[in-house]
Amino acid sequence: MFDKILIANRGEIACRVMRTAHRLGIATVAVFSEADRNALHLQFADEVVGIGPAPPRESYLAIDRIVAACLKTGATAVHPGYGFLAENAGFCERLEREGITFIGPTADSIRTMGDKIAAKRLAAEAGISVIPGSGIVLEDEDAACRSAAELGYPVMLKAAAGGGGKGMRLAEDDAQLREAFSACRNEARSSFGDDRVFVEKFIEEPRHIELQVLGDAFGHVVHLWERDCSIQRRHQKVIEEAPAPRLDQASRDAMGAQAVALALAARYQSAGTVEFVVDKDGAFYFLEMNTRIQVEHPVTEMITGLDLVEAMIRIAAGEPLAFSQADVRCDGWAIECRINAEDPFHNFLPSTGRLVRYIPPRESEGRVRVDTGVAEGGRVPPHYDSLIAKVVTHDATRDGAVAMMRRALDQFVVRGVETNIAFQAALLRHERYIGGDFHTGFMAEEYPSGFNAADMPHVDRSLLVAVAAFVHRARIDRQASVSGQLPGHELKVAEEWTVVLNGERYPVTVRPVTDGYVVIDDEHSSEIVSGWRLGEPLLCGARNGRPFCVQVEHVGQMYRLTHGGTRSDVRVMTARTTELLLRMPEKPERDLSRFLLSPMPGLVTRLEVDEDQPVRVGDALLVIEAMKMENVLRADRDCVVDRLLVQPGDSVAVGQRVMEFR
Amino acid sequence: MVKSMFDILRELDAKRAAARAGGGERRVAAQHAKGKLTARERIEVLLDPDSFEEWDMFVEHRCGDFGMDARKVPGDGVVTGYGTINGRLMFVFSQDFTVFGGSLSEAHAEKICKIMDHAVKVGAPVIGLNDSGGARIQEGVASLRGYAEVFQRNVLASGVIPQVSVIMGPCAGGAVYSPAMTDFIFMVRDSSYMFVTGPDVVRTVTHEEVTAEQLGGALTHTTKSGVADLAFDNDISALMMVRRLMNFLPSSNREMPPVQPTSDPADRLEPSLDSLVPDDPNESYDIKELILKVVDDWEFLELRPDYARNIVTGFARMAGRPVGIVANQPLVLAGCLDVRSAVKAAGFVRFCDAFGIPIVTFVDVPGFMPGSEQEHGGIIKDGAKLLFAYAECTVPKVTVITRKAYGGAYDVMSSKHLRGDVNFAWPSAEIAVMGPKGAVEIIFRADADDAERISERAEDYAGKFANPFVAGHRGFIDDVIMPRATRKRICRSLSMLRDKRLENPWRKHNTMPL
Repeated sequence: MFDKILIANRGEIACRVMRTAHRLGIATVAVFSEADRNALHLQFADEVVGIGPAPPRESYLAIDRIVAACLKTGATAVHPGYGFLAENAGFCERLEREGITFIGPTADSIRTMGDKIAAKRLAAEAGISVIPGSGIVLEDEDAACRSAAELGYPVMLKAAAGGGGKGMRLAEDDAQLREAFSACRNEARSSFGDDRVFVEKFIEEPRHIELQVLGDAFGHVVHLWERDCSIQRRHQKVIEEAPAPRLDQASRDAMGAQAVALALAARYQSAGTVEFVVDKDGAFYFLEMNTRIQVEHPVTEMITGLDLVEAMIRIAAGEPLAFSQADVRCDGWAIECRINAEDPFHNFLPSTGRLVRYIPPRESEGRVRVDTGVAEGGRVPPHYDSLIAKVVTHDATRDGAVAMMRRALDQFVVRGVETNIAFQAALLRHERYIGGDFHTGFMAEEYPSGFNAADMPHVDRSLLVAVAAFVHRARIDRQASVSGQLPGHELKVAEEWTVVLNGERYPVTVRPVTDGYVVIDDEHSSEIVSGWRLGEPLLCGARNGRPFCVQVEHVGQMYRLTHGGTRSDVRVMTARTTELLLRMPEKPERDLSRFLLSPMPGLVTRLEVDEDQPVRVGDALLVIEAMKMENVLRADRDCVVDRLLVQPGDSVAVGQRVMEFR
Repeated sequence: MVKSMFDILRELDAKRAAARAGGGERRVAAQHAKGKLTARERIEVLLDPDSFEEWDMFVEHRCGDFGMDARKVPGDGVVTGYGTINGRLMFVFSQDFTVFGGSLSEAHAEKICKIMDHAVKVGAPVIGLNDSGGARIQEGVASLRGYAEVFQRNVLASGVIPQVSVIMGPCAGGAVYSPAMTDFIFMVRDSSYMFVTGPDVVRTVTHEEVTAEQLGGALTHTTKSGVADLAFDNDISALMMVRRLMNFLPSSNREMPPVQPTSDPADRLEPSLDSLVPDDPNESYDIKELILKVVDDWEFLELRPDYARNIVTGFARMAGRPVGIVANQPLVLAGCLDVRSAVKAAGFVRFCDAFGIPIVTFVDVPGFMPGSEQEHGGIIKDGAKLLFAYAECTVPKVTVITRKAYGGAYDVMSSKHLRGDVNFAWPSAEIAVMGPKGAVEIIFRADADDAERISERAEDYAGKFANPFVAGHRGFIDDVIMPRATRKRICRSLSMLRDKRLENPWRKHNTMPL
């Protein structure tokens, strides 16, 4: 076994690998770029080594520097995590020359599987079902059309070296195929440095189901059942689960057997993933094999009780697999949500900056697991992918795991950086998701124009009403405990209140009970009991004995309640005040759509437009420098600039109006 | 025939009802249509339920000219009295725009003066709800006398009892000077404005076209002039905020600020503060994160948030007791001091000192803003105001230097040398005459053209002086603290300082630079 390993990665996967290494008594070395000097993964390491500037090419992808870090610290093995150098055969070979073990498959396996055409050929030879048309490199457009004629349209044109959705084009007829051909080739050349393309049958309503395999150096291979990763947004997985819903046992067994056969044919030695697409009739086809630990590996760990990183380390150290296929369990159901630093309400724009508050849900052995790469006070730098954490839940049934995930997401507090948590919570309440009725086109079908907060009415309005009343009463009671009151005229806090939520008024009666209040509205009586302290962002407690968590934030004189993927601004007033408010005409909502709001704090460095200038979607409007980065703010529709509200040199706050349109 | 007691009581009811009706249904409806509450409704929202004791309901004006003797409304356009906010005594006057446009007659002014005199006598705040067309022109000089009587009382009450003004309608001409002399001004967007001369006069005299809102609306006064502290969407929000504000203020200068028990532990640690100050000295961060993370219950009432944003001022509590917070804001103009921010903070410091509210200062200041605009704007005297305010101040003063404390600005920001009681520094603090590069360019002027040497020397200088220990060696800093322990250390210091006694030498008054 190794004494010391180096983790050539960052973020949650680096933390996760070190967790296992420590359990095995292996010392760890973390590497970091200049953007990660205070990153969380350094806190878990026994030793840390700086490997260069923020851009990955100069740090996490810089093979020489990583090798130098190994030699300097005496690490005898490297775990690459995923991404960066995880599937770089050249890196493997370099380590081998230096006498350092690569914790992963052999360079040969990586190379074979990295070449889609070669992988498909190998798969076909091993008797694995492949998508018709795979594996023939196309010379020109005519060859492509001939190939397509054999397969029948629609077909998919793909780059041999492609992946992650890049270099793929759908064609419905010859004309489209001819048009796509050179574009696909150019993209393949510029993205992968390899312009080989091929065509294959397009699978309709495909589900993405992948098999986890483990192989050792002694020719043993087992599979650890499947994961369904069909919930994707622009080819990025969003929610994964194991096992796959709506998949019969015969298919599972057959896919498992084929995955093992492929790994055996490839003499595969490590953890790997064999990806299949399953069409609407349940037929499955080999897609590709990933020769690394996957982001979504925890769902497999939850249902099998195995530690995949431990298995990878043991296999790399030359140990044989300690179990056989018959020993691999498949207990219950596990779900993973990827928490990304991105703004779901603004087209999933990446969000970076300081995590002013960061409170992940509490972990519970075997039930709730959080793999996080950041901590409160940390930063999300702009240079790397936006994944900051993964929440995994595990229960006996799928419904149980989904319910547990909803509760976990309700508890996940992140402030300072936008995240997709609300979006994830919304998906978990989507009928088709709950029914397991989805394929990779789910997102495009259900959210064709993106994700809007208004799409999501809250399911349990009376809970929000009760929580708002609870929070307000707690505050008012605190204020009413102030010293210096006139003897005999101390304030007696009223019991009658009105909660104003989404423009609706809900009269409630609020009475104190031990550790809480009873809130009675027209329909419900909710006894809310909680140890919540004023100012805490998360209010967890029990409502009529049933646990709940709602996030509470003070915004001006409103409470912003976040729950179940919705965000509501609520006001609580006395009945009399509400009555008075009604006497006044509603002020027209401040129309912020006419304004460009600064998405970040920073310094205005340049104005790109003048007043009265017409602009089109995508035109640059002004440049804000924040964290030494130039951020170009662009028009999101066609309009005319009415007024400039800032000048170069002005510093702006988040949400500040910088420009008015008409 | 002798009236029965029953009839007498009924007559009283009828008289009261007449007074409560104000300017009548039609005018009340017009008031509501403008998005404004009536004078009495406002008092209802402001004070605890059923706590209002009204005085002088039957006062009427004494003007006989221009047919005014035929037009009398009991109360004469202002509702006055006292009541409670969270059980604490407050005096209130609320001008009634439905009666003679809320205009100020001699009798109207006398009603205001009466409650002000009482407030000073018993030691309780005065809250003025302003909604008045101005002087009662029919009364002429008698009305002017009325204003001056109010002004005089504003001045005598200043620093004795807190005075708060909420501008909820017009407030023009001489009328602005009463709110101007109170401690806090709140305004309501779209329905209130304040100016000495209105748009018509402006147009005639200077030919400038400007609307009332542009000239003296809530937005103007909270962003451009700094006259008002806060702006609100409607009357109710403004009045609710007055309730919140009053919970931080003592009733008078004879009383300690009010305590509000908290369940927020005084020794709470905030590990994330350890990484608040970025590695790069030129990168900014939000000082409000520090404020929110160290005060009780994450609750900070910021005043003048949109004016001179390079300094942050406001009230919070620590271990249940009110504190005034002053903090440089690195996000805006790198947190430097300039004309506006110095005056903004000086006023706040003096208010806290007058009312025994301890001051907690967070320092990250690279210096004074350079430039002819500042120099010609009088930064010398305005900077001196803040220096003067801190130096004169005798309430407990706790200071935390988070990063830069350069030059004269270091001295100004509640330094040890201006009788700071407890002065802490974070390990990231740099207390020096100026930034390393500027310093070595002067000390090693001969090398000025040799960029490499200068940067070498700057690094050397930074190593020697860009830390809190040089000041620590001399005792200018009482301790270098872990950022995460900031709340605990401040709470403990304030608790130690609770019975602080410090007197300035007797004088009629100082001659602070104005």
